[in-house]
Formats: sequence, structure tokens, C-alpha cells
Amino acid sequence: MFAYIVRRLLFMPVVFLGVTLMVVLLLQLLSPAQRAAAFVRSDAQLRNLDAIIVQYGLDQPFHVQYVNWMREAAQGNLGYSTASSEPVMDTIRKRFPASAELALISLIPVLGLGIWLGTLAALNRDKAIDQFARVFAIVGWSLPNFVLAIWLLVIFYGALGEPLREFAGGAFRLEPGRVSTSVNIEIANGNFPLHTRFMLIDSIINGRWDVFWDALRHLVLPVITLAATSSALIMRVMRSSMLETLSQDYVRTARAKGLPTATVHYKHARRNALIPVITLSGFTVIFLMNGVVITETVFNYPGLGRWFATAAVNLDYPAVMGFTLLTAFIVVVGNLVVDILYALIDPRIRYG
Amino acid sequence: MTRLIWAFTMIIIAGALAFAFAQRDTFVYQTPFPVDSLDPAQAYDTASGVITENVFETLYDYVGESVTEFQPALATSWTASDAGDQFTFTLREGVSFHSGNAFTCADVEYTVKRMLVHNPSDSGVWFMAESFLPTQANANAYLGDDATDADYAEYWQWIDNAAVCADDFTITFNLIGPDPAFFTKMMSNVAAIVDRDHAIANGLWDGTEATWRDWVGVNLRDFALHNNPSGTGAYRLVDWDGSTAVLEAFDAYWDGVPPIRNVVYEIVEEQSTRLLAVQAGDADRIAVGDRATLAQIRGAPGVTIHEDPSWVSTTVGMIFFNHNINTTDNPDVGSGMLDGRGIPANFFDDADARKCFAYNFDQDAFIAQVLQGEGAKLTMGLPTGFLGYDPDLPMYNVDFEAALVHCEAAHGGAMWEQGFEFTATYNAGNTTRQAALEILKDNIEFMNPAFRMNVRALSWPDYLAFTDEGKGTMFALGWAPSYADSDYFVHPFYHSEGFYAGRTGINDPVMDDLINQARLTVDEAEREALYSQVGQRAYETMPMLPYPSPTTFIVTRDVIEGVYLNAMYSGQFLWKDISKR
Repeated sequence: MFAYIVRRLLFMPVVFLGVTLMVVLLLQLLSPAQRAAAFVRSDAQLRNLDAIIVQYGLDQPFHVQYVNWMREAAQGNLGYSTASSEPVMDTIRKRFPASAELALISLIPVLGLGIWLGTLAALNRDKAIDQFARVFAIVGWSLPNFVLAIWLLVIFYGALGEPLREFAGGAFRLEPGRVSTSVNIEIANGNFPLHTRFMLIDSIINGRWDVFWDALRHLVLPVITLAATSSALIMRVMRSSMLETLSQDYVRTARAKGLPTATVHYKHARRNALIPVITLSGFTVIFLMNGVVITETVFNYPGLGRWFATAAVNLDYPAVMGFTLLTAFIVVVGNLVVDILYALIDPRIRYG
Repeated sequence: MTRLIWAFTMIIIAGALAFAFAQRDTFVYQTPFPVDSLDPAQAYDTASGVITENVFETLYDYVGESVTEFQPALATSWTASDAGDQFTFTLREGVSFHSGNAFTCADVEYTVKRMLVHNPSDSGVWFMAESFLPTQANANAYLGDDATDADYAEYWQWIDNAAVCADDFTITFNLIGPDPAFFTKMMSNVAAIVDRDHAIANGLWDGTEATWRDWVGVNLRDFALHNNPSGTGAYRLVDWDGSTAVLEAFDAYWDGVPPIRNVVYEIVEEQSTRLLAVQAGDADRIAVGDRATLAQIRGAPGVTIHEDPSWVSTTVGMIFFNHNINTTDNPDVGSGMLDGRGIPANFFDDADARKCFAYNFDQDAFIAQVLQGEGAKLTMGLPTGFLGYDPDLPMYNVDFEAALVHCEAAHGGAMWEQGFEFTATYNAGNTTRQAALEILKDNIEFMNPAFRMNVRALSWPDYLAFTDEGKGTMFALGWAPSYADSDYFVHPFYHSEGFYAGRTGINDPVMDDLINQARLTVDEAEREALYSQVGQRAYETMPMLPYPSPTTFIVTRDVIEGVYLNAMYSGQFLWKDISKR
């Protein structure tokens, strides 16, 4: 197992080299003037387009640009992102915790709802609950994220925002952003130190339950949006896996020897049925980390997805490269974690 | 255990109540536009200007909504030489920077010299440089790879001579020649006065001749003033994380502490989120993309839409005709010949062809349909209210009879007989430019079934590259002022050496002569007359077609008081002038 992990980690630089080379090659399909667009924010700046190309070395051969980028990257400098107006590394350092927090919190309802509903559907095959779960899965999976996000925002922040707040005695309001403006001002003034940049953790470290609650209620709507989509997939896989497991001989044996139904279902069948779900949940985290562009944009959540969307549209290639590297890292590590979990859950699986 | 749960619940409810109401001392501005840089010598975008114009100050400033009346700011008086090539300012005493450093002439001198030394290619320094130097470019770009030490020494002399302190509070600017626009240039964001000692202490150029060559053309986003500015303005930057900027009232501000304590500039890309935020009271001001969207919040409780017919935008939108199209590998010219399936390179070099199009543009329909009835027609490529803008000049509007005359005469009658097909372009997402071209398309195709005009969108990067290569046949772009002088519009638009000439191939010696004359005279009345003549000439030759400018609006919460619109401010008003009930 240890050797397997080391091998996978050693493979990581090759993956990085491959993906960055691919991105650089793709970017070379664009002319220097097109790539210079990242630095042109107003019509008036157009006048110096040629000088901008020279200043930022966009007219150099691709291998020179790539080698330069690699040399800087090796020293921890991934370049400057025009989309965030700061070094790429700074942006990743600030925004990764935000996206990770959103993804990890989302994972709770995603897995909880998906596994629970999938199990329930399988145990009640073709009954009303199963039909409901299947409809939920189809709607959840096919409903575009941005539609659901805007609906939620319009309903809970717009139409019901004030009534909800009044109903809760001023204590509850669902709103976009990561924290309230007053907390942002406290952070800017250094009155709320960011130790980990995970807002929930930092609020606990700082003993600020008010900020904990504030951050938590800001997470509600984006988490619902993400959970609706991703839990639908988990539910489908869980249902199929559970149905398949329930038809296995060992389940029949367990029933035959008189074990309680709940023990058969939840201890014997569901544990084995979870194996494909574990694999899928690893990919779900990766998806949640990288695929939350729309959710972060609509809910004004300052994560990586929102930054990357802006960067990609503006051909901010240091940002594109940096994000690609980070994604590759997350995918490699995510797969590794899934493999390890897989082995832990299923003792039959061993890595040589 | 129960007590513990109760205590925990009470703590979080108390915390929630603390955030439940909008703070009266905080102004939240939500906009989709990211800030580029807070260094005045680097920033050249509107979003950056919104912050820098509140953090920094210039020597003089505008009075209220006027772009032609000025009041003292960091200077208290000024004089200009008769020749218009030397300006002397008396500076205000008792002013402090946010760092605590005292403001003196050395800061003004440093500000001007550093901008000329750095002059990054993507900054707005070029228009300041042309006042002091024989070039708009920085030393490296101007002198080239073969430059000698003597060449650099000469360039340094121009810089060194540009700003000279007579004493701690008197500065003289020595220009390379007469520049009637210089005074207004000194009110641009680029000319905001930076804190010399703060800059040097934070590792920027030390202000000496010995090191200046190391700093030519550098990207100032890599240095301290990018996100650690120190100005004399009413607000000091507390933090900017690339997405949200937090500013605080400057307690030692020379003109009194402003009413609003905190300002938060927040990037919110999604418009529907901003619209909901202003209705919920979480935003005090929001940016709204277009007038059509206003219908969604007009009449909403707590929201005020500030608008006034006189608030005509100073951004001039233009439909450009390319008089010399680059037809090489250009899909927009079709066959490249006047055979009904394409257009030749010189298609728009024919004045009758241009006028044929100009008489097909329905200005009233544009105002009614695109600008929701709130806009103003332009007689020339100059904002209304700028010196020399002549509202009495004739203008083109839809007139099929007049159009027919020119359409039939264009290219010796061949255009009418053969017909044409070409594609006009705009940058994707700009619905105003799209609509302008489509109105033209509808009418021109109505004139003659053999006329075919396609309209396509290009992404911003593609659009830049395509027009830069001279391939745009007909394209829509705009031009916004960095300083309040007519030359900033007239030269780029109409001069054969102006900015757009490379994209339009425009070349009219008569026009060039008028613009050159206006550039050299300091007599305001003479300049006004010359710009009026430029407008007349533009009408006669129709080198390009200005489309109506929208009337600007500002969306705030109704508790915000003191809102006004000065077109020269990136944020329309300064935060120090508003208050919150």
C-alpha cells in the first residue's frame, strides 16, 4: 500500500508537466494580440496594444514562454492574474479554503441525502417512495445549476428574505456572499484574524460564534444548490448498488439465518453497496471544488470557480495555468484518497 | 446539557442580530468590474479610478457636475505662461498623506517624474508624456534597442526638466510645447499625487537619475503602490484582496472628515444578485448594465434611480468605416470585390458609400428601442458639453431619399448595380453596439435586395486582434474621456495619426490641419471654433458615424443623499460628498 501511494505521488510531476504543456500549446493557437487582451480593460488602452505585447513577452516563441513560466513556477511564482489583480499563488491561497469549505459542507447533504434516499428507494422498489426518489434524481440532475441558484436567490433572499427575518425575530436571513459586510470590514481591519481562511474554523478559533453563524447562513443557499445536483447522482448509484447487493447470496443467507431485517439491510447490504458510492464521492468532491463556477458566481461566493470563470473569459493565462495545476493536483490526490478508502472498506482489494 | 444548548443558541442569535441591520456608517457599492491597480501610474480602467479618485487627489478638481469649472484641491492657485508651455501652481499647506507624511512640492515633482520614468505600455501615462516629452512612449520603447547612454541622458533631461520645485509649495511644469489640454490632464487619475516618502520606503524608484533606467516600463502591479497606496484623499485604503476593497474615512483629511465612515467596493458579477442586494438593503449602490434592466427595480421600496436628461454619457459610441480594409485572409469581405458577393478594400473609401449607410441609420429608433427613450444624438464625435461641441451642426438620420442618391452614386454606380455583401463586427456582450449595427443592417438591406450586411460578435480578445490587423470592415467601438478636453476625442477619431487611424485607414489632410491648429492654440474661443469646423468637416465627409449616447443613471438606496454625476469621475461622484440617512 505504501509503495502504491509513493508511486502515485511520484507520478504527479508527470501529470503537471503534461497538463501545463497542453495548456500552453492550446494558448499558442491564439495570436499575441488576443492574449494581450487580458491587459486591455478599456478602449483607450487599445492604442498601445503592440507595446503591451512586447512588454509582457507575448510575442516570444512558445518554448521560451513555457520555459520562463516553468522556471518561475519552480520557485513558487505562478505569475500574475489580471482577473484577480494579484499573484496567482495569492489568489489560490485565499480562495482555495473558500471553495474547499463550500465543497466539504456540501458533501454532508450530498452524501447524506443521496445515500439515505438511494437506500430507501432500493428497499421500497417500485413503491411510491422509489418513484419519488427517481423523479428527484431526474429533476435534480437535469435542472441547470444557474436556474436553481437564481430561483433560490429570488425566493429566499428576495421575496422571502424580509418575512423570514421578521419571522425569526431578526436572527435569520439567507443572503449571498461569504460573510456579512461588517465581518468583511472586521477582517480588513485585522480585528478578525484569518488563521486558516476556513471561515467556520476561524470563527471557532477566534471564539466568534456570531461569525460562525453568519458564515453558516451564507452557506445555506449555495449548499442547497450543489446538493440538489450532486445528491441526485449519488442517490441513483446508491439505489442501483443496493438493489444489486440485496440480490446477493450472502444477503439471502443472512436473512435465512434469522437476522433482523434492519441488520441485514444496513449492516450487511448497505456497507457493500457503499463501495461504488465511495468512489463516486471522491469525484464529487473534485467536481464540487472545480465545478462550482455558476454557484459561486450567482451567490457571490469568493471561491476558485468564480475566479477561474473570469480568468478564462479574459484569457488570463497565468490564472488558467495555475488553476489547471491546482485541478490536476486535486484530481490526483482525490483519486489517491478514493483508492485508499476503497481498500479500507473492501478488504478484498489490496494494492501491490 | 440542556443549559449548554440554550446558551449556544442564545449566543448565535445575538450574533445574528448584530448583522441583521445595514450599518449607517457604511456605504456598499456592488459592481461587476474588477479593479486593475491602485497605482495611479498604472491604473487606466474605470473600476480602479473609482477607488483612486477617493484615495488620491489632484492639484485641482471639478466643481459639482461641471466638467468645465474647476476648484482648488492640492493647489490653491495657478498661472500659465502666455505661450501655454509653462504652468506654475501654488500648493496647499497643512495637508497630510494617509501615511502621516506631510504633503510638499517634492511629492508633486516625484509624481510627475515617476510617471514619465515608468510609463507602462498599458497605463494612461501616454497623454501626460506627450505634454512633457517628444513622445508618448517610455524611454525604452522610444529609444529602441540601439540607444546610447547619450540618448538616455537626453531623455532624462526632459523628465528632470518636467517638474521643478521653486520652494516647498510652488511647482512649475515645463512642457515640450504649448498644450491647451494640460490643465485638465492634471485633473486626471493618472496625475493623482502620490506620497514620495511612502513610495520610496516601500521599495519604489528612489527619484534619482542614478537608478531611473532600471524602472523604465516596469509593470507597477508588481510593486507596493499597487495595493498599498498612500494619498491625501478623504478615504484611505484598509484592505483590498483583489475582490473586495475596504476603505475608511481619513481622520486627518484637510477638508474635514467625510460623513460616511466605511466604504466597501465589492465585485458581484451576477446582475440579478446585485439587483436583489440593493432591494434588500445590503448594497447602497449597484452598477446596472443597461437601462432596460431598470424596469426590474423601478418603484422598488427603498431604491432610488437617479437620472437627469442632462446626464448624457461622455462615452462616444461610433460606427467606424474602414477606409482601407485588410482583405488578406479576411472572412468579412466575402469575395473581396464589388461583385455582389463581397466588398473591396476601398469600399468605404468612397464618401457616397459611407453616406449611403449614414442616411440609413435610424437615430430615433436607436434612442427609442435601445436607450429606452433616454439618449442624445451627437452631431460629431465629441461628448455634448465639451469645448467645441456644436449642437447646431447638421447630422445624419434615416432618410431613404437622401440615402438613395448616395447609394446610387457610390463607386460610380457599381455599388447599386452589383450590390455587396460584408460582415460588420462588435465585441460579444455589448448589446448596444450590436443593436446599432443591426438597425443599420435592417435599413440598408431594405434599400436594395442586392445589399447584404451581416453582423457578427467577436470575443473581446478576438475583436482587438481583428481590428488591430485592419480587418474590421465596419465595427462599433467607444471612447471615454481620461481628461476633459476635446482633443482627447477629436484626435483619436479623426486625425490620420490618431489612435483609430490604424484601424480605419482614415486620412484627411484638411481635418488633420484643423486638429493640429486646435492643439497648438491656447485661445479657448479659437479652439472652440476649430472644433466646430472639425464637426462640420465630419458631416461633409462622414468618415465615421457617431450613434446616440445614452443618458446615464445611478442606482442607490433611498437613504443615500448628495448623489450627483460628474462625467469625469469614474464613480460619477466622490464618496466624501454623500451621506447616509
